[in-house]
Amino acid sequence: MSKVKVLVIDDEIEFATTLAERLNIRGFETTACFCTEDAMALIHAKDIPDVVLLDLKMPRMDGMETLEEIKKYNPTIEVIMLTGHGGGIPLIGAAREKYSPFDCIMKPADINELTTKINQAMAKRQTAINKGEGE
Amino acid sequence: MIKKPGWIKKIFSDVEDYHKTMTSQERYRRFRRTLSLVMIAAFLIPLVLTTMLSYFEYRSQMLANLRWNAESAKRTIETFLSELQTVLVYTATEQTYEELVDQENLKKLYHRLKSHYPGVVDLGIIDHKGIQRAYAGPYELLGKDYSDRESFKGATGSKTFIGMVEMGYRKVPHFTIAASFFNTNTGQNWVFRASIDATTLDKYLEKIGSGPLSDIFLVSRKGEPLLQTSSQQLGPPLSPYPFKLPDNRIGVTISEDRGVWDYVVLKAVSYIEGTPWALVLLKHGYLYGKDWSFFKARLFFIILFSTLLALVVILQITKLFVGRIREADEKRESMMAEIEHTSKLASIGRLAAGIAHEINNPLAIISAKTGLITDLLEISEDFKYKKKIGSEIHGTSYAVERCKVITHRLLGFARRMDVTLESISINTLMQEVLSFLDQEALYRGIHVDLELGDSLPIIESDRGQLQQIFLNLVNNAIDAIGKDGKVTIKTKMRDQNSIQIDVEDNGKGIPQEIISHIFEPFFTTKDTGEKKGTGLGLFITYGIIKKLGGHISVRSSVGVGTTFTVTLPIKINLSRRAHNVESESLSN
Repeated sequence: MSKVKVLVIDDEIEFATTLAERLNIRGFETTACFCTEDAMALIHAKDIPDVVLLDLKMPRMDGMETLEEIKKYNPTIEVIMLTGHGGGIPLIGAAREKYSPFDCIMKPADINELTTKINQAMAKRQTAINKGEGE
Repeated sequence: MIKKPGWIKKIFSDVEDYHKTMTSQERYRRFRRTLSLVMIAAFLIPLVLTTMLSYFEYRSQMLANLRWNAESAKRTIETFLSELQTVLVYTATEQTYEELVDQENLKKLYHRLKSHYPGVVDLGIIDHKGIQRAYAGPYELLGKDYSDRESFKGATGSKTFIGMVEMGYRKVPHFTIAASFFNTNTGQNWVFRASIDATTLDKYLEKIGSGPLSDIFLVSRKGEPLLQTSSQQLGPPLSPYPFKLPDNRIGVTISEDRGVWDYVVLKAVSYIEGTPWALVLLKHGYLYGKDWSFFKARLFFIILFSTLLALVVILQITKLFVGRIREADEKRESMMAEIEHTSKLASIGRLAAGIAHEINNPLAIISAKTGLITDLLEISEDFKYKKKIGSEIHGTSYAVERCKVITHRLLGFARRMDVTLESISINTLMQEVLSFLDQEALYRGIHVDLELGDSLPIIESDRGQLQQIFLNLVNNAIDAIGKDGKVTIKTKMRDQNSIQIDVEDNGKGIPQEIISHIFEPFFTTKDTGEKKGTGLGLFITYGIIKKLGGHISVRSSVGVGTTFTVTLPIKINLSRRAHNVESESLSN
């Protein structure tokens, strides 16, 4: 079984790289991007991640817009929102009807919780792929 | 606002001026006093003025009456005397001196006159030397020498003369009317004289009268004033008159005098022209008369009664009025304090959430880094300080974990929660909450009493949030007791729109100086022992209750216990809540 491909998008470079490294240690194939544009470029270059860890608040294009972009491109890519902002969660709740993330986790997140969520998200994606959605 | 006149402003400034150093009680007392005084003055001044006016009106009317009486008495006396004088002059000019010195002739004339004027005592003719040449009357006065008598000297000097009342030769009080004539035959003056009984004047004055409370009489105005007619008060004619006569000789002079009496008399004096007399009218009942006393008593009682009534009414009204103002002020002040408290908590909440958010990102980095170090340590081979580094990193992770708990709670308070509305029986909810804490309470020997109200309505609210609120409150109650005590939970209807839940403990209580801070974040008293508080429990509870449209208040006394009272609406006003959420999202 190939490794789960994870894309971390966060403008906090230190956070993104460290998290990516930790996930790699745990057997994921993780890439870190520090802005939405880079991340979208990567996705458009057919390097499709299975799960995206997306920071809610970023300069220029924020997490919600990025979520929309990703889902429009490929609805089977699962997105887990990371937020340091208390106000983020209900906003997602409001947007859930159109493009919903797999889950929301508040920073600082526990690594075990995160890996569990990634695996659950991967399972969901797998089911969707099997059903023949997208791709 | 209506513009108040200066003086009203001054009264109201007493209540409005909050910067004064006096306590509020003093301020209201002073306001009440000033207001009462102003109202009493506003009532009493017109009353006193009216009373004084009627008093003076009464007095001036009385004086006018007296003046009129005196004037009419004076006119009567003058008319009487001038009539006598005219008769005398007429008689003398009708007959010659020679005819009149005839005794028989004079006697006839005397009898004729007496039949018309009974007061005439006698008649006499006096020659130029002053010897009475003829006499008609009851006494033996023929040949008497009048040369040094006033009647002779006065008549020869000024044609006609009226003398003072005297005893003279007759030893009865009488006065003389005399007129002098010129005898063309002899070329010498002679005098025709009549004596008039002084009691005639008395009779005239009696007829005039002027009410039972007055005394009217004549007084001589030459030398020491002597009574010329009898007076009820001062005695028979020729008794001394105890007052001074006024200098003013024209019209009626009115004055007050105490004189020989121990009460005040009102005195009207008028000089009678062509006579040596002054007419005196004494009104001794002026101040003590029946009319006057009655008038005064009536005035006094009216004033006394009105004043008492006004005092009672004014004092009651000002008491009520100031009380109302005070109540309104206090209500306003407590409302202001409540608003201030609420907005203070809201801004503290926002500030705390902001800080938590800012701290959260670097915290996430630290957490990730320590996590990575731990990961790396686990996969690396053993080296010198591996164990030491591992334990240090563990300590760092533990500290980060603690920070995380705090920032997450703060963000939990500030974030807009999705309130999931359900129909909830508050009594059932309280029982559920207690089931979580039963063991803890049992372990600490704390008895939990449920006094649940009957037939409470099902409310619409968020079950999870309510559980959190009451778990927190009951937990606090248990902590406040420590060991062995009692927690009572009461539910009841508050009004038709809300229910009330009291969580009551008999723990150590909250001192007054800190009770206003207990809803603030990071305020905790649980700073000892293993159960160290974060100081966020009540802060979050407060936030949730506000979001659920409710209210929380606390009542406590040290050593007795604490009661937290939560009121919850039966139906949440969604539009209002939505508005709250909206305004918060804007401020975030």
